[in-house]
Amino acid sequence: MIEVEGTLKSRLAVWLVVTVSALGVLLLVEAYFSAQRAAERAYDSQLEAAALTIAEAIQWEKGQPVVEIPSAALQILATRHQERVFYAVLDADGHTVSGNLDLGISPDWRRRVSSQPTWLNDSYHGTQWRLYGRELDSAGWETQDPVQIWVGHTMSGRDALTEALFEHAVTRFVVMVLLAGILMLLAMRVALAPMRRLRHQLRQRDADDMRPLEARVPEEMREMAETLDSLFTRQREGREALLRFTADASHQLKTPLAGLQTTSELALKSDSPDAWRQALTEVHGSAGRTSRLASQLLSLARLRHAVEASATSRIDAMSLLHETTFDWAQRDVSQAHDIGLAPLPAAPQYIQGEAWALRELLGNLIDNALRYTPPGSVITLGAVCHAQTLELYIEDDGPGVSPETLEHLHRPFERGGRQDTEGSGLGLAIVDSIVRRHEARMQVESAEKGGLRVRLLFPCLTRHEER
Amino acid sequence: MRLLVIEDDPLIARSLEQALTPLGNTVDVFTHYAQAREALQSGQFDLVLLDLGLPDGNGLTLLAELRQRGDTTPVLILTARDGIEARVEGLDLGADDYLAKPFSLAELEARVRALLRRSQQRVDNRLTFGPLAFDAGSGVATLNETVLDLPRRELRLLESLLLHAGSITPRETLENRLFGFGDVGSNALEVYISRLRKRLDGSGLRIRTFRGLGYRLEEEAS
Repeated sequence: MIEVEGTLKSRLAVWLVVTVSALGVLLLVEAYFSAQRAAERAYDSQLEAAALTIAEAIQWEKGQPVVEIPSAALQILATRHQERVFYAVLDADGHTVSGNLDLGISPDWRRRVSSQPTWLNDSYHGTQWRLYGRELDSAGWETQDPVQIWVGHTMSGRDALTEALFEHAVTRFVVMVLLAGILMLLAMRVALAPMRRLRHQLRQRDADDMRPLEARVPEEMREMAETLDSLFTRQREGREALLRFTADASHQLKTPLAGLQTTSELALKSDSPDAWRQALTEVHGSAGRTSRLASQLLSLARLRHAVEASATSRIDAMSLLHETTFDWAQRDVSQAHDIGLAPLPAAPQYIQGEAWALRELLGNLIDNALRYTPPGSVITLGAVCHAQTLELYIEDDGPGVSPETLEHLHRPFERGGRQDTEGSGLGLAIVDSIVRRHEARMQVESAEKGGLRVRLLFPCLTRHEER
Repeated sequence: MRLLVIEDDPLIARSLEQALTPLGNTVDVFTHYAQAREALQSGQFDLVLLDLGLPDGNGLTLLAELRQRGDTTPVLILTARDGIEARVEGLDLGADDYLAKPFSLAELEARVRALLRRSQQRVDNRLTFGPLAFDAGSGVATLNETVLDLPRRELRLLESLLLHAGSITPRETLENRLFGFGDVGSNALEVYISRLRKRLDGSGLRIRTFRGLGYRLEEEAS
């Protein structure tokens, strides 16, 4: 089940947006403050220049300062913006010699200015002002009282400059982010190109094309490409096994069908009822064998090519054994034999497995016993509990099998050196598959009474264990 | 006895008809779901042989419908599907027996006979098998029309065996019927079986032992 969870692009974009906006906020804050500082520096030096211009215009008459404010000083103060300006020249006692606004310079400020030139922020009539004050000592040969020169203006010039500087910074930043985004998209296209190529290649593949991949991929994708390759390999092997099996199976089925065809053809040519009867008997027998073969092939295919392991469950082997034996004892094919069940352990014995496969397993063993022993033989099924394992067994008192043949009995189409019976040789191969599926072991040995004894050893489940 | 065969393969349908007619029956054969459904609604049958894979419907639906109507006519399912799930599903829906294709006609005949016996019992409350008969109403068993004078437990044993005649009666069933659910000795049942065997001696019937499994009342093989 494939679940689509967003796109790589959006994931990268989210990361980019988060980091860029965090960085951006910091950068912009910094840019704002530096713009403010720059504006401040620029205008403060203007205030200083205006104050100096006024200072140069101060004259002394009879020890009293006299000033004619030069218009250049006012020009410097006014700036290009709708600025209100302020100037004042104070004598040593704090009386205004000349001034335009009564801003109320406090004695505290005057004290500060007397030691060094000072910039101040003040609010007057609800407006922010920037003030600059400095003290002028007479530099002549006649000692005079110092005068203080105050100048100031409102902030709109500064604000405008700050805004302009900040705007530039913001514009630069936005352009940079946009460029980075576009570059990221381009980079992603380039980086994802191998993935697109691989996808294209996979899409163009034929359904039965299982050749290894031929693609150039970056290191990061190597693992995925290799996994795909090994998947293809496994599929190829599975398909080959299936083809082999189908070929085997159709060969197996063709033989008895050919027999049916020739027998019936000969009988149709003949006029003798005896020959018909003979042929019909053969046809009947062969049809039975063929249908048994078909069902065996089906279960072998089901066992070998089960794509998903069907659900195993906790099974009481005793009732399964009882059920299966009971079922087989009823059947027509068993009537000439003495099939029975040895006394079973009273308590249920649990094993983990698939019920259908276990029934198939026991059924094949019973079927084999019926086919490879003469009529009247005694076939007994039973169970023995060991410490770690549960043994299910089936034994007969038939002719048995030689020790050499015992070893390769479980190969498909092997009939224990017997060509006289009706078997296909598939029974034990099926049994073998099921045994391996259940992590069990099978032992084929000679029984005490001379026949064959097949023992199946299953791992035991303790009563509380659930796998 | 009237039998209904619902089977879409013409070869199998014909051989079923030929095999079942000599048992003294009329056999109606239908190859399609729709026809079979109509026939089932109108007619009274003693046994239905039902193929599951019909061209125009699923046999199991037919069976479910039949049972929903409260019709208890015995149904024997025939199918090529051998899976245990299909089998359990069929039996759960109320089928009486189940035979997987391919089957031998001899086996089919045996099962049909057993089911017909059950059908017969539904009608007149009598169980018969060959020369042996048991009237469940009066509790009288007869062999060749002669009343068998049997003690209570042997009578019960005979009834149980007759009920399953032709197929194996599980050992546990017999023990429960004879001795209740208490613990019994391992050979207590064997004692009654051998007594009954003596009664049936020479009647052409015998009780065959299936070791560890149960007993079967059957006709003596020729």
